[in-house]
Amino acid sequence: MTVAAHSVVDPTPRTRRFAGALVIVYAVITMIPLAWIFLTSFKSPDDAISYPPKIIFQPSLEGYCNLFTTRSRQTPDFIQTLGPPQGMCDDIARSRNMVIAGPSNYLPRFVNSLIIAFGSTVLAVALGTLSAYGFSRFRVPLKEDLLFFILSTRMMPPIAVAIPIYLMYRAVGLSDTRLGMILLYTSVNVSLAVWLLKGFIDEIPREYEEAAMIDGYTRFQAFVRVVLPQATTGIAATAIFCLIFAWNEYAFAVLLTSGNAQTSPPFIPIIIGEGGQDWPAVAAGTTLFLVPIVVFTVLLRKHLLRGITFGAVRK
Amino acid sequence: MSLDASRTAARRGIIDRILRRGPLEAAATAIIAAGVVMLMQPLSLTLYSWSFTTTLFGTVMFIIVSKVRD
Amino acid sequence: MNELSASSRIAYPAAAAQPRVTHRLRGLSDRALAWLFITPTILLLLAINIFPLIWTIYLSFTNYRANRANVPTRWLGLDWYQSILTDPDIWAAMQVTAHFVIWTVIIETVLGFGLAFLIDKKFRGHGAWTTIILLPMMLSPAVVGNFWTFLYQPQIGLFNYVIGFVFGRAPSSFQMLGDVTLSPWAIVIVDAWMWTPYVMLICLAGLRSIPDYIYEAAEVDRASKLRQFWSITLPMALPFIMLAVLFRGIENFKMFDMVNLLTGGGPGSTTEVASITLKRAAFESWRTGYSSAFAIILFVTVFGLANIYVKALNRVKSR
Repeated sequence: MTVAAHSVVDPTPRTRRFAGALVIVYAVITMIPLAWIFLTSFKSPDDAISYPPKIIFQPSLEGYCNLFTTRSRQTPDFIQTLGPPQGMCDDIARSRNMVIAGPSNYLPRFVNSLIIAFGSTVLAVALGTLSAYGFSRFRVPLKEDLLFFILSTRMMPPIAVAIPIYLMYRAVGLSDTRLGMILLYTSVNVSLAVWLLKGFIDEIPREYEEAAMIDGYTRFQAFVRVVLPQATTGIAATAIFCLIFAWNEYAFAVLLTSGNAQTSPPFIPIIIGEGGQDWPAVAAGTTLFLVPIVVFTVLLRKHLLRGITFGAVRK
Repeated sequence: MSLDASRTAARRGIIDRILRRGPLEAAATAIIAAGVVMLMQPLSLTLYSWSFTTTLFGTVMFIIVSKVRD
Repeated sequence: MNELSASSRIAYPAAAAQPRVTHRLRGLSDRALAWLFITPTILLLLAINIFPLIWTIYLSFTNYRANRANVPTRWLGLDWYQSILTDPDIWAAMQVTAHFVIWTVIIETVLGFGLAFLIDKKFRGHGAWTTIILLPMMLSPAVVGNFWTFLYQPQIGLFNYVIGFVFGRAPSSFQMLGDVTLSPWAIVIVDAWMWTPYVMLICLAGLRSIPDYIYEAAEVDRASKLRQFWSITLPMALPFIMLAVLFRGIENFKMFDMVNLLTGGGPGSTTEVASITLKRAAFESWRTGYSSAFAIILFVTVFGLANIYVKALNRVKSR
């Protein structure tokens, strides 16, 4: 043990262990609801609503089957007359005196979520990169005011904006369309994109472009060939933030869509089975919906702080 | 802009010293905060009734004041 | 831009006349490019945010109803504002919002700062545990909020089971979402679970921004750990804490999705926060003019707080 490397302000090993233990306790408690969602998705409906709540149970894929299908109740005699069950889900359904009637709406809603999230992300990041570069490099009149204006649009309460958007979309035929939702989410995300990307582009030294322009590049060429490659990390982080927002958004989705363009968040809560909510199916839908976010959060962990402070705090 | 500021700084009088950005911005912030508290306090309906006007006044003041020289 | 032309002239002294022309062209295209780059964003925001906002302001002065678009609209002036600002029911909704905002912000700040303080001790594996703690805030409040209704079920819910087990009560003896005294706390718990990590992350940045030499100097002066905390740690992290508090305050003031799914404002109107009241007036009773006025009142409040937030943001940025 050398004493020289140890600074007076470093916590002692005992303090560290104690702090670590407390944090781990919090982390475990905070994970319980998420773990419960995951466990419930593999329970049979009876296990899901048993008392006391079961931690050890016979895993079943019934929740996932119910999530993707609609079923109708039939008499055992009728089921006898059918051919052999087609696949596992059919087997499970028949054991409960049901037959699969068709696919559920979950997959179309999930696809809507994907299209709207990716569409709005691409648009917001494209617009945001251009504007961020403009604000970062050029002298723009009223720059601070424009930046505040852009940020303040994100602060608006969604319900307050939803009323006129509803009327506006109804007038121009955009209500309950994917395009309408893409435009709406783009406008919410673009403010975050501008602020975040301005932070990232500010960090790229101007000298790089200036050197390129001396070599005969135009300003636009320098932007495309020098700045954009340098900003890849920032653009990727911003894109993930926009994606997560659009993926998670609920207020606009529930007020402005009803069927055609409905995304997953307003749909998952209304998954019902016979006699109330089908919790394993809800848990299955929730699990599938959350997994991409968990992956993205882990990818994004270094940039989370920037993202939640609009690029102001960089650590 | 910077030229302008240095010129005014030379002949800054008492009124100028009061009407500086820092204190005015702090006052506007306090008015906005007061408006928000008035909106949500459980004590007086009259205060609640005047909350919106207060917040609006504070916000407008903040926007104007943030344009004032430092 | 001027340095550029100067340096290019130094770099190519032989072609001094040539860069002069291109410089002018570039200077022109710079300004054009700036506007070309910024205008699309501004136009989009004008179309989808500002135009609707102005429309809302107009509607708030009329008796327009979205479900009876053919009825001629009448100009009412400030009538709606007056009726909202003297309505005891709306006032009550604002107090429900206040209860929600104040308690969530207090709990999240205390827990979040505490966690940040512990994580800042840099124990082994603190990076991985931090990522795990951060997970809830990235998830969809609506989808996760919906699942909490399952955890809150009186008989079968895990939350009731655990609390019942710890406090020796029957899990079915209390209803988190159906009881008028418990339901305001039910939404506070879910919000605190979700957003404590947010406050933690910003506080952590604040703690890490304090340079070591200040603590070293305090050690030299033999200041106690407690004293160091009160006179160094807390004051220096304060701008960051303020930032987190302001943002959570604004966000929870307009909270909609989680509350809508957990309680929908019920039982009665005990959890009817402002956004729920607004949604009911706008999309259930279709009182468009009235709800527009209410929306403007909420918007001005948020906008005023947003001004303060940006000021706090700039203060943190300069660190």
